[in-house]
Amino acid sequence: MKSLLRGLLAGAALLAPLAHADAVELTLWHMEQPPHRVQRIQELIDAFNETHPDITVKQEPQNWGEIYAKAPAAVAAGAGPDLLFAIPDFTPIMKGIGALESVEDFVNELDAKHDFIDSAVQSYSYDGGVWAVPLYNMAMSMWYRKSVFEEAGVKVPETWSEWKEAAEKLSSDNVYGVGLPANKQLYTDQTVYSFMVNGGASEIFAEDGTLRFNNPETVAAYEAYAELQKMSPPDSPSWTWGEAEACFASRSCGTILQFTVISTYDTQAEGDPDDLGVAPIPYKEGQTQHNTISYANAVMILSKDDAKREAAKTFISWLLEPENYGKFLNMEPGLFLPITADGAEAESFWNDPLAQKYKSQIETMIENSKNGMLFGFTSGRTFPSIAPISAQNIIAETLQRIVVDGQDPAQAVAAGEDRMREVAK
Amino acid sequence: MLRESGILPFLLVAPALLFLAAILGWPLVSALLLSLQNITIIGSEGRWVGLSNYQAILGNPGFWKAAGLSAVWVVANAVVQTALALAAALVLNQRFPGVRVARTWIVLSWIVPTVVVVMIWRWLFSTSGGMVNPLLMSLGIIDRPIGFFGRPWTAMGTLIFINSWRWFPFLALMMLAGLTRIPDELFEAARIDGAGAFQRFRRITWPLLTPTLLVLAVVGTLLSFNVFDIIWLLTAGGPSGGTRTLPVMIYETAFKGYRLSEAATISVMATLLLMTFAVLATRWLAREADER
Repeated sequence: MKSLLRGLLAGAALLAPLAHADAVELTLWHMEQPPHRVQRIQELIDAFNETHPDITVKQEPQNWGEIYAKAPAAVAAGAGPDLLFAIPDFTPIMKGIGALESVEDFVNELDAKHDFIDSAVQSYSYDGGVWAVPLYNMAMSMWYRKSVFEEAGVKVPETWSEWKEAAEKLSSDNVYGVGLPANKQLYTDQTVYSFMVNGGASEIFAEDGTLRFNNPETVAAYEAYAELQKMSPPDSPSWTWGEAEACFASRSCGTILQFTVISTYDTQAEGDPDDLGVAPIPYKEGQTQHNTISYANAVMILSKDDAKREAAKTFISWLLEPENYGKFLNMEPGLFLPITADGAEAESFWNDPLAQKYKSQIETMIENSKNGMLFGFTSGRTFPSIAPISAQNIIAETLQRIVVDGQDPAQAVAAGEDRMREVAK
Repeated sequence: MLRESGILPFLLVAPALLFLAAILGWPLVSALLLSLQNITIIGSEGRWVGLSNYQAILGNPGFWKAAGLSAVWVVANAVVQTALALAAALVLNQRFPGVRVARTWIVLSWIVPTVVVVMIWRWLFSTSGGMVNPLLMSLGIIDRPIGFFGRPWTAMGTLIFINSWRWFPFLALMMLAGLTRIPDELFEAARIDGAGAFQRFRRITWPLLTPTLLVLAVVGTLLSFNVFDIIWLLTAGGPSGGTRTLPVMIYETAFKGYRLSEAATISVMATLLLMTFAVLATRWLAREADER
């Protein structure tokens, strides 16, 4: 009897791998590197793998700093992932090397079920196809402390001149009225563009695809930015997102522009939800609507294998289901915003303790994100030549001409357009 | 038989040479071939364009600015590191309690991973909670915080300081090895003849340490020229291109500008420059050694 049992166990052990022999393996590359985000994604993957024995997903976290070079190289070497997270300007690069097939039908199917924010899908729609599936949104807002504003007798600024006035009042020996970056880096691209969209300069390209960066509205936006930037810390020309958050958390900066500060404010500062203020980004006098920069992050399906493509679609569909989607967004509570209508109401999203604690701030962020735009992806049009312009941070480089080199804004913007033309060749 | 024919030595070094050819030669040949095409993104197709990339790079003011900054970077690092290392080596060559511990601990900054070095200094120099600005203000050296990475020349100076802090212990140990080879009898004799500390340094230490310093100058130049990680992680070549040395320019051109062939062209030119320097320096060192 014992030997029979042993034999059965041995046989079962031998057969066990065969039970998953046909499982489709998917490799997911994403750039959400912080350990808690990796852990949350792993929890979701484990739950998916458990309920889908025919599919095995595994994650390989990557780095935004090198993914633009690494992914094309990996695809060329035949070692690319099956799924890869993206922001809008990444897809033209992957499409350019023939790594993408349109997922329009799949996105339409998901849209019918979950109702995507239109602008999110538009960012990935060009050249007759849709090249990635939107997953989550990020939108920039202005952050401040209500008590600090009250103490300084400052009301939440609506316009650029009110903002400048407020920053002047907030400035003191130990406090910089505002923390605006001037690094040649993506964060500065984002904050400068936040001024541009609030100054009537959202369109970098004309309808025919030619550049129209050099216009009076853009110059005015750079002028206003540079004026405010004078009240920023002297090391702001080397800032990325982290330094701005640190400046705000340490109370050294009166206001900053950031996608979120909730996590750092909660863990490294006071963590008082009643005192944390978030507001739309001020606009130029004469404008009537607050706008912002927003990024619809997405996932690209790179695999050419039919079985893998189907498995990838199953995984993405599962992820966007409201009961899973909130958990996914809350890998970084208060940063990643829902991109679907049912996701915005999902219990799994609002049940997170941090989301509950900072509910009013997150609601304001979602509201701000509705007027979100992204350079090169505006007015329902997409201009793939934005990819090299964005990759080389020409918007930020133009700011450095003014802030670091002391150039006149009009000259700097003209030079910026020349640089854009040169890199977009 | 093999020994008699004189083939044996060549056979013995052949595996090592083949290995070197594979890991060094092939990438160099690839870079050369790449520089003669117009490939933009890794994995994309390109066509042969002859020497037009070389023509474009040589006519690009950005290349000459980067080359100039590389020269500043190399010379400044050599001066600062040599001064720090020499001072440290002279101290560590003395006999005092704890000298063994000091000799071990001095290498600490050299063995710390680059990313950690970057994080430490970025935080120390920050205006939001960093310690350097308050320290300088309390000493009355400055009256308001400085943005160390906020202006081109302060950023370059700060990078040189950080890179020198990281590398000087390595040079100090090399110099210490050179110092320990100088016979004590020479110093004894000089002392008896009434030579002071400065005279002993000038007449004995410096001349006998010069061969070591020259070798270190050559090796240090090659190492400094190729430093990329610290610069990229701290300033990414900014602000306003003020720390954009040739290695940074190569990376930016290839992986941010998507002009792989142009980046290969700059790499080939930089390699030729360094090889020329290495050959000339090695010959000069050999001649110097013969003359001694």
